[in-house]
Amino acid sequence: MKKYNTPLIDDLEKGPWPSFVTEMKKAAKNNEMANDALGHLEKCYSTKVGYWKHGGIVGVLGYGGGVIGRYSELGEEFPGVAHFHTVRLNQPSGFFYTSKALKEICDIWDKYGSGLTNMHGSTGDVVLLGCRTESLEAVFAEYSSRGWDLGSSGSALRTPSCCVGPARCEWANYDTLGLNYALTQEFQDEMHRPSFSYKFKFKLSGCACDCVASLARSDMSIIGTWKGNIVIDQAEVKNYAKNGMDINAEIVNMCPTQCISYDGKEMKIDNAECNRCMHCIAKMTKALKPSGEKGATICIGSKAPIVVGSLLSWVIVPFIKLEPPYTELKDLIRKIWDWWDENAKPRERIGEVIEMKGMRSFLEYIGVPPMPQQIKEPRKDPFMFYTEDDIASFKTKEAEEKKTGKYKF
Amino acid sequence: MALPQRKTDIGPPNFEQFLPPVIKKNYGKWKYHEVLTPGTMVHVAESGDKLWTVRVASPRLIATDTIREHCDIAEKYCDGHLRYTTRNNVEFLVSDESKLEPLKKDLTARGFKMGGIGYGISNIVHTQGWVHCHSAATDASGLVKSMMDELYEYFESKRLPNKLRLAVACCVNMCGAVHCSDIAIVAVHTKIPTIAHANFKNMCELPTVIGSCPTRAISPDTAQKSVKINPEKCMFCGNCFTVCPPMSIKDPERDGIAIVVGGKVSTLRTNPKFSKLVIPYISNEPPRWPKVVAAVKHIVEVYAANARKHERVGEWIERVGWERFFSLTGIDFTFHSIDDFTFMRDTLRTSPAFKW
Amino acid sequence: METAELQDKIFAFVQAAQGKKKLKEKDIINGMNAETGIDKDVVKKAMRGMIDVGRLMYSYGGGASSVEIPSEEYLREKGLIK
Repeated sequence: MKKYNTPLIDDLEKGPWPSFVTEMKKAAKNNEMANDALGHLEKCYSTKVGYWKHGGIVGVLGYGGGVIGRYSELGEEFPGVAHFHTVRLNQPSGFFYTSKALKEICDIWDKYGSGLTNMHGSTGDVVLLGCRTESLEAVFAEYSSRGWDLGSSGSALRTPSCCVGPARCEWANYDTLGLNYALTQEFQDEMHRPSFSYKFKFKLSGCACDCVASLARSDMSIIGTWKGNIVIDQAEVKNYAKNGMDINAEIVNMCPTQCISYDGKEMKIDNAECNRCMHCIAKMTKALKPSGEKGATICIGSKAPIVVGSLLSWVIVPFIKLEPPYTELKDLIRKIWDWWDENAKPRERIGEVIEMKGMRSFLEYIGVPPMPQQIKEPRKDPFMFYTEDDIASFKTKEAEEKKTGKYKF
Repeated sequence: MALPQRKTDIGPPNFEQFLPPVIKKNYGKWKYHEVLTPGTMVHVAESGDKLWTVRVASPRLIATDTIREHCDIAEKYCDGHLRYTTRNNVEFLVSDESKLEPLKKDLTARGFKMGGIGYGISNIVHTQGWVHCHSAATDASGLVKSMMDELYEYFESKRLPNKLRLAVACCVNMCGAVHCSDIAIVAVHTKIPTIAHANFKNMCELPTVIGSCPTRAISPDTAQKSVKINPEKCMFCGNCFTVCPPMSIKDPERDGIAIVVGGKVSTLRTNPKFSKLVIPYISNEPPRWPKVVAAVKHIVEVYAANARKHERVGEWIERVGWERFFSLTGIDFTFHSIDDFTFMRDTLRTSPAFKW
Repeated sequence: METAELQDKIFAFVQAAQGKKKLKEKDIINGMNAETGIDKDVVKKAMRGMIDVGRLMYSYGGGASSVEIPSEEYLREKGLIK
């Protein structure tokens, strides 16, 4: 095996944080591909430019995603990275594994690929970095026969992912892992066979702490919430105070709706005014607990800045109950995709299409009524669309008012 | 040897088979948790059962042998169960307290680093960079390593007013959606693409390329059966390169780093926010990017010294005002921080109430 | 219409666009539906049948996925031709 001189990236083996260069060298010990990847990276560091070409047309028969083609411009100099495709394996919900399952993943990858991985990629998949085209069918056969399917790429439903949820968190308002698994299974076709105008992502968070950043980076953000009161354990409130928490400064004054009061003995919450931001609950988890109906808020449209600026997801369904078999949500998703499919130009994310076509058109199609929970504030411009039906309904209302003698605004 | 029969559309394995018994038993019935140290926390169930989590740093790009070592540790102390986190840490889960200290001792002996829980700095989410991406304007893993070496104490021990989330994107595509982080590094291009006209016709679709430009800087070049770019309109986003490989935008001397701050995704106290541009350009200086690292550390320290308990970076800045952020940090304010793109209306000041 | 006949029509449709326009699944389904009046789900199923055996393939380029006629190189790699 060729020994590369790598002084620049060797520097990144020093220091307390675990080094990816050390990892690459570990894999390079008995793997030509990883070894050439090391030499290839040193070259990038010395010239300050990358050498990977655009993704090529590679994949497994029948699927349109899950493998990202990657070739180097320097294939002759570094033959081990001439083909260096990524294989995305669909991770289990919540990234839970047994050592047996993980070792099996590793053994197959050592047999066919570079031995390099990302645990995990940004979207959530197990990312297997570096594989030749001719190995792809074998890799797929080995993994799929052992129960592992490919993740997604391209103009398709991307691999859904979720927070740790009820598996290890007291704040989960719905079963994020269960729903994540159910949606992934339900929409296998949409994941593997790209039929959309562009990518579509689901991210599932059990509460508004949003540990998977769903509000910032998923076309559909499913964020847990509840409708009942926050139950207070006054004895635990006392313990927090005793242990040094300044409840007025840290909790009462930081409540965005000012719905909490504390007189040094007892904490009170005006629950009707709570907007469920999670601050008090997250800081006093032993004392405060949501109760009553649990479910989620559905938000739509977030994405990174390309092309015309970043978007955060917009609230469309303020509250939905989420229980197996999740029929209402699945139906809603299909309607959303139908509308998107009808209206999107190539490479338009759903948030961008809503911006172009208007939220009204979208909400009417999916059958969601207008609600003040959907907006931060009402429109400021006086230019608006009045349909014939709108005017007719205003007139009907006024006719009724004339009959009853009472205004209804 | 014959290959096993492939199966399609089976989806991922059901997660339930991977859950430790204590989780299966107490699924959805956790009562509270406590952060014991920056590397350990305990979750207590309504049943009284306890689950200790030990969080360990990872460079995300890891060799199969390292995963096997994670597995060995899990077999020794956790009955073979382990998980990874959204921010790419590894978590070892024990339900038997007597195994906790031996596990931590073993992790230390093997050189694993524990931390990242609570009010400090956890692992940095990042993109592929030069390691594996065609569009990268810098390396992401190297920047992460350089920053975390310098900020390591905030991972392992030192505490901050709240958690501080860092992210690195190796180009403005921001695959990791880093745009809502407390502090994010984004690599930028600064020169207009050079077009290999001869390849355009074969590799690109004219309407797609023209439509890809957010500033309408691209128009047809009929003579060359290609396109031309209006240099006064190009904002170097590189979206044309994404749809048309002959429009190369890489430039080793001009590609650089911008720093954005003050984003968050949770709704705690205040609404989610985007990160905002404060440093428009720092030269790309591998392997250690010293100026980028120094800038990030400086912002972290100014935040630590000035924010109130529980305030995230963006909340602190909103309370004191952006003009105060620039005066406290001493960062030069440039035209680049004034939005001249889609968010101009939302971001310009419309009140004469401000600070000096 | 027999599936085989429909598939030939789909193939001809994709062939006609080759080198001119990158067709998405939707373009083919809508195009064939407009041309023949055949139900979109039927077209989709027929097209998928062709992709499963390598008569058509999914491709990716220009930041989006499309459906194309496979190259010889692809068919050789998949062991569909020698």
